[in-house]
Amino acid sequence: MIGRKLTWPLAFVLFGALIVSLFPVFWIVMTAIKPPTDWNASPAIWFPSHPTLVNFKTLFDPDAIRAYGVGGVSQAATTSVYGSLLASIVGTVLSVAIGLFAAIGISRYANGGKATPLIILSGRMFPPAAIAVPFVIIYSNVGLIDTFRGLIAIYVAGTLPFSTWMLKSFVDDLPREIEEAAMIDGRSRLMAHLVVTIPLIRSGLLATTLFIFILNWSEFMFALVLSYSNVTTIPVQLARYVTATAGTLYGVQAALAVLAMLPLILAGLFIQSHLARGMTFGAVKR
Amino acid sequence: MSVPKLEIINLRKVFGNGSVVAVDGIDFAIEAGETVALLGPSGCGKSTTLNMIVGLEDPTSGDIRIDGRSIVGVPPGKRNVGLVFQDYAVFTHMTVFENLAFGLVIRGRAKGEITRAVHDVAELLGMQKSLKLPAAELGGSELQRVAIGRTLVTKPAILLLDEPLSNLEASARLAMRRELRRLQSEIGLTIIYVTHDQIEALSLADRIAVMNAGKLQQIERTSVICEKPDHVFVAGFMGSPPMNLLRGEIARDGAITGFRREDLFIQLPPSEIVSSGRAGQPIILGVRPESLRLALADESMIFGKVTIVEPRGPEAVVTVEAGAISLKAVVLASGRPQEGSNVGLVADPSSFVFFSGETGRRLAS
Repeated sequence: MIGRKLTWPLAFVLFGALIVSLFPVFWIVMTAIKPPTDWNASPAIWFPSHPTLVNFKTLFDPDAIRAYGVGGVSQAATTSVYGSLLASIVGTVLSVAIGLFAAIGISRYANGGKATPLIILSGRMFPPAAIAVPFVIIYSNVGLIDTFRGLIAIYVAGTLPFSTWMLKSFVDDLPREIEEAAMIDGRSRLMAHLVVTIPLIRSGLLATTLFIFILNWSEFMFALVLSYSNVTTIPVQLARYVTATAGTLYGVQAALAVLAMLPLILAGLFIQSHLARGMTFGAVKR
Repeated sequence: MSVPKLEIINLRKVFGNGSVVAVDGIDFAIEAGETVALLGPSGCGKSTTLNMIVGLEDPTSGDIRIDGRSIVGVPPGKRNVGLVFQDYAVFTHMTVFENLAFGLVIRGRAKGEITRAVHDVAELLGMQKSLKLPAAELGGSELQRVAIGRTLVTKPAILLLDEPLSNLEASARLAMRRELRRLQSEIGLTIIYVTHDQIEALSLADRIAVMNAGKLQQIERTSVICEKPDHVFVAGFMGSPPMNLLRGEIARDGAITGFRREDLFIQLPPSEIVSSGRAGQPIILGVRPESLRLALADESMIFGKVTIVEPRGPEAVVTVEAGAISLKAVVLASGRPQEGSNVGLVADPSSFVFFSGETGRRLAS
C-alpha cells in the first residue's frame, strides 16, 4: 500500500517504531513460555525450543511457587487478579459516571463558576509519590487501609480529573441546541441529557472509559502502600516476583504480565472504531 | 376583536448581574396564521426573544401570552411551540424516521398514529425515501428538512425558525425558501422567523419586526417598511443598498427653505417639517437609492464624483462622493456613468424621508 500518503521513507520509520514498541511485548510473551532454565540464559534464547505453560501454572498454584524454594511470594496471583479487576472496574465505572455528570454540568451550566475545571484538575498536580505517605497515615487512622473501599476511593479521586476533562471536551463539541431541541419536544433537562447528549458522545465515552481503566489497571504506587494482604493488585503482585526474598522469577512475572495485557488488548479491539473517533474528538457532524 | 395568537408584553431579559440587557422591553402581537420576520444585526436580541418564547430562557420581566394565556414558567415541551435551529440540531444517532417521531414518542402517542404522522410530514417535505437512513448520512438541506419536519410533526401552535437557511448553500437556500413558502400556505401556521437576511424576510413574512440593541425599532407590513421606516436605524438597515442618510440641518437661504450640510444645499418644498420655524434644527435626510437618478444639465441637486460602479444585472449601484458625503444611487446599467467621472444627481423631493437629528425617529409628514 505504498502510495502518496505512505511513502517508503515514512514506511521505514513507522516500521522501526513498530519494532521498538512491540519488542518488549514479544520478549515478555516469549519469556512467559520459557522453562526456568531459559529465563536468563546467556546468550539469550529468542525462541524457546520447549515452550511450556509451567509459568502460568505456577502463578495460580501456591505449592508450585514453594517448589522454587523461595518464601517471599506467599500468595497465588488469584487474589491480585481479583483485586485488580474489582478495583479497576468499580473505580472506572464510578470515575466515568461522576466525570460525565461533572462534564455536562460544567459544559452546559458552568456549575461552580469558571474556575471549577481547573480546581478539579489541581487534584492531579501532586506527584502520587508525594501524597502516598500522608494517605497511608490518613487511611490507617480511618480504617481504610487494605480495603477495597479505600483503594477504589483513591482510584476514583485520582482519575476523576481526567475523566471530567476528557468528557467535557466531548460535551463542548456537541451543539447545545441538540439538547434544547429535545427539551422543546417535551423532554426534561435530565432526560434530554440521557437520551441525546450521552448517546451522541458515546465514542468519547468509550475512549474515556478505556483510558481511565488503563490508568487504574496499571496503578502501582497506591496499591503498594495502601494494601497488605486482603487487597492486592496485579502490578503489586508483579513486583513481588523479583525481590530479594522471592528471587528472580522472570518467567512467572512475564506470565502474569501477559495475562495483565489481555483485557486491555481485548477492550481495545472491541471498541477500536469508536476509539479512533473518540481520540480524534469531534464526534458530531455539524 | 379576537385575542392575538401570540402577545409579547414589555419583555425584558437581563444577563449577568444586570450588566447585559439583551432584550429591553419589547411589545408586539401576532395574529393567527401570520408570518413575522424578526430582523436585526447579530446581538440585537432576536435569538434571545425566540428562546424566551420557546421557554429555553426565562424572561427577567414582562409576559408572553399564547391565545391570551401566559406561558411564562411553563416548561418548553408543554408550550406547544416548535423551534427550528440554525444548525439543525438533528439527532445524528437516530434514523430520519426516529428523528421525526421523537416528539410524538415522548408524548406517548400510539404507534400507528406516530407512523401515520411521520409519513404525512415526510410526504409534505418530500422525504419518504430517506426515512430509514441514519441522519448522520444526510446533507445540509436534508438535515434542515428533518429539523423542520420534526417540529411540524407535533403540530405546534406557533413555529419559530431561527435563521433556518443561513447554513445552506445559495441554491439550497432558494429551494428551501420556496419550500417554506409552500408550507406556509398549505398549513397556515403562525410563524416567527428570525433572520439577518432581508431578502428572506421580505419574501416570506407578512410583517417585519426590526430589532436593534434589544429594542424593537419597528414592526410593520413588509410592503410598507421599506417605504416608511420609523427610525433611522430601520432606514439604514432595510433595502439593498439601504437608504442614503444625510445628517444636516434645516436652513434658510433668503426665501427658500432647504436642507444644508456644509456646502450642500437642497431646496425642499415647504411642508410642516420644512417650515421656517425649524431653521437651524439638526435633521437627517433620507434619500432612497432608487429615487436618485442622473441629472440632466440644469436640474442637478447634488454634484459629485463617481467612485464605484457596481453592476447588478439590469441595474448598477453607483457611489457618488460629494464633498463630505457619499451617496448610493441605483441607475439603469445601460446608462451607467464611468468611474471617476463627474455627475449630477437629482431626486423627487416628495420621496424624501426626514428623521429627527436628536432621536432618530421619523418626522411625520
